[in-house]
Amino acid sequence: MKRMDWVVDFISRKGFRKGWTVFIIAFFLFFVVIPTLYVVTYAFTDWSAIETTVLSKPETMSVIVNAVAASFEIAAIVTVIDFLAGLPVAWILVRKEFRGKEFLDTLIDMPLAVPTAALGFSAAVFWVMNPDPVPFSFSVISSPFFLIILLHIVFSYPYMVRSLAAILEEIDDTYEVAGRTLGASRLTAARTITLPLFRAGLATGVILCFSRSMSETGGTMIALSTMANLGIGEAANFFTGSTLIGEWRSLVENDPTYAPSLAFVSILLIALALILLIILKLVIMKFHLPLRKVWPMQEKMLSRGIFPKMKDGGALLFLALIVLIPSFFIFTYVLFSDPASLDMGALSYALGYSFLVAGVVTVIDIALGIPFALYITKHRDRASSNVLDVLVNVPLIVPTAALGYSLFLFWGSTGLTGGASFVVLTLAHVAFTYPLVVRNVAGAVEEIDPSFEETARTLGAKPIQSFHRVLYPLIKSSILAGAIMAFTRSLGETGATQAVLGSNALTAPVYIVSLVKADELYQAGLACIILIIVSYIFMLVLRYLTKKRKEAI
Amino acid sequence: MPSIILRDIKKSYGEVVAADDLDLEVENGEYLCLLGPTGAGKTTALRIIAGLTKPDSGQVFLDGRDVTDLEPEERNAVLLSQRYSLFPTMTVAENILFGPSIRKVPELDSRKTLVELLDLVRLTKRADSYPRELSGGMQQRNALARALATNPDVLLLDEPLRALDARLRIDLRHELRSLAKALGLTVIHVTHDQEEAMVMADRIAVIRNGHIVQIGTPREVFDDPVSPFVANFVGQSNFFVGNILCSRDGRMTTVEDDKGHVVFARSSEIPVDSKAVVAIKVGNTRVVKRSDAFVMGTVERTLFEGRVVHLDVNAGELGRFSVKLPASRRDQVAVGDEVGLNWDIPKASVFPYPEGGLEEELRVD
Repeated sequence: MKRMDWVVDFISRKGFRKGWTVFIIAFFLFFVVIPTLYVVTYAFTDWSAIETTVLSKPETMSVIVNAVAASFEIAAIVTVIDFLAGLPVAWILVRKEFRGKEFLDTLIDMPLAVPTAALGFSAAVFWVMNPDPVPFSFSVISSPFFLIILLHIVFSYPYMVRSLAAILEEIDDTYEVAGRTLGASRLTAARTITLPLFRAGLATGVILCFSRSMSETGGTMIALSTMANLGIGEAANFFTGSTLIGEWRSLVENDPTYAPSLAFVSILLIALALILLIILKLVIMKFHLPLRKVWPMQEKMLSRGIFPKMKDGGALLFLALIVLIPSFFIFTYVLFSDPASLDMGALSYALGYSFLVAGVVTVIDIALGIPFALYITKHRDRASSNVLDVLVNVPLIVPTAALGYSLFLFWGSTGLTGGASFVVLTLAHVAFTYPLVVRNVAGAVEEIDPSFEETARTLGAKPIQSFHRVLYPLIKSSILAGAIMAFTRSLGETGATQAVLGSNALTAPVYIVSLVKADELYQAGLACIILIIVSYIFMLVLRYLTKKRKEAI
Repeated sequence: MPSIILRDIKKSYGEVVAADDLDLEVENGEYLCLLGPTGAGKTTALRIIAGLTKPDSGQVFLDGRDVTDLEPEERNAVLLSQRYSLFPTMTVAENILFGPSIRKVPELDSRKTLVELLDLVRLTKRADSYPRELSGGMQQRNALARALATNPDVLLLDEPLRALDARLRIDLRHELRSLAKALGLTVIHVTHDQEEAMVMADRIAVIRNGHIVQIGTPREVFDDPVSPFVANFVGQSNFFVGNILCSRDGRMTTVEDDKGHVVFARSSEIPVDSKAVVAIKVGNTRVVKRSDAFVMGTVERTLFEGRVVHLDVNAGELGRFSVKLPASRRDQVAVGDEVGLNWDIPKASVFPYPEGGLEEELRVD
């Protein structure tokens, strides 16, 4: 007890608090932001190499331009579809009461629990045209471009629905009720009153979906390899920006002449992602949708009878057919394929390694992300905290493959990459999962009335005590949500892992990619299922543990 | 020795000045009401005393100790915020025990404190309820008990009765004051409700634009306001603008406007011929017959408020006067009647005409 008091006193000292704040910000800058953007320095130190090996070679340039353009087109189409199909479902979740609503609520998040490597495989065997299709599969898609769109919808859709539902929850439905008592039909009221209030949620949803689609590597790679293995050779030569980085990163180990091209694609993707983020933010916040005009008769008609049912039915059908079934089709695939033996030793080693990395990453994120979130929310009046607030989004929108390559260069320049692959991998995963924890916690803290903590302080509590006793119980669930997001993102990440460690990486998703590339599809499917089940059990246990504690309060 | 001293406190948020040379002294065991309109800097003053806001300059003393640079938890000055800020994850009892447990008070002592305080605020039966299950009045008492459990030197109340129903608010005024007195606490109670301040305070400090404009007993502030603003903010006044005709010492001041209307007020030091404002409290304005009247006017509107009837009297060029009549005289006046108004001359204050104009002086936003 005595020693505890001494610790509390010590960390409450002004000097210690100042030092701690500096440490937290320095960690963020030197371990998250700077490594993420380090690759950009390549343009300054070695521009001549980029000029001679990339810019002056039309064939290399055309590969790069095609891949980056494909990335953007796919991301844009995916985002639009997500919005159109996600809005009715978000509406149902927030505004309607029905039996099984909780079930629907859980269903939406299911694809997030599945590592993207497994999703890519699952979606590919479901959709790809195949002379010998698996029973119950659709087997209609022959274009890699469309396959990737369908795949990216699966894992970006939940983000869109969650963002839209979150903002819808905030919008008081009394506005709409007022509109309706003034004579507007249901559709008119929703369209002219609630939708314009949506912009913030829309901006978040669009940015999340867009950047998720832009940066996804592992699932995309697996889907394309699977497609190629199923007989559509075109898929082997189809690249998105991220998969191109993955491909070249594996080549650069034997052929260093790829280095400038690799750096160039990474810089290009990072720059475009940042520019796009700024444009999207500006456009969505400034742009006025032409929503004022009203067509009372038509809208009244559309508000009644069969139309709303068709809208809801269509949205739910989309959810089932495009999002959920492809996510879990892998179970059917494995069931109907000829068994082959799987190297369980290698798989369990990869799984163990992935869980260890994800666990350590999550602990670091929480230990250093919470103080950072507290710092930016409590110093809103300072310009520095607003700058940090913007910077923390950067690793979220930078494609993880580019980020990974950047980290490889950064830590390589310090000489760390050789022996300590675990340390470097952990640091890489911290860079792109850290913002998830910070965003979640900062969002929650901002909702809490600061007078709770202030009152605690005047009642004699030191800052650490007022956090522990008053604030922490109120934001616990958001910390958990952030931790789960960080953990699953780390567990499922392929692009960054490969970019940092090359083919030496031993994580589960990378192992699955290697199985698919070796055309061992059954084994890959089985490995995916084991990954899904293990991570699902892990999440259930986490939820169960925290729920129990919540009830105990 | 005064328990709380604020010296030359300045605080601004960008353009907005929240404290401008704020000076205040509160005696040990005193119940002081800090009264002012919204945005006058009341809450800022309270937060500066509690240590939650750092002043740009100036000093804060508690019990003779300079606490300007101390953290909130080192001051033993407890703040009770408008919405009480009861910790939602703790029960009534846990909320009360928050302070003692932080201070590592022995289990036995804190148990004793808890029982006493629960009894004092009549929440013994609700000890295991959560704040959200309590009524507004109970929440207020819970927050009060939590504050008292830390055995504070100073209690800072930020509009403590604001969130309550009108009826309950009036009942709790007396309760809160007598509790503070019984425990010998030094209290600063922030409010924008002048009636509340009049009833509860030992002294009232009227604050405006971050500056204390007058401090005194409720009677002093009400009867001898230092400015038209105070005259109107504490107890609402009727105004008359004119030039000083004569201001002989010791008797009365005569003021005449440019149309030749003359009214009388208490004596003043204002030189003859300078522009002046006469302020007469609405409650001190009487309806009288024509021969006794200082001002004549037509009844424009009557509002029956229950205990009193409120009259708006249009006095032509002199503007509008408000008068309260006891309910018993309700049937004696009707809209359109011509009435005379006067007042006891010593109860009418007179001020030099304010620099920015009268309207600016009376603004309360």
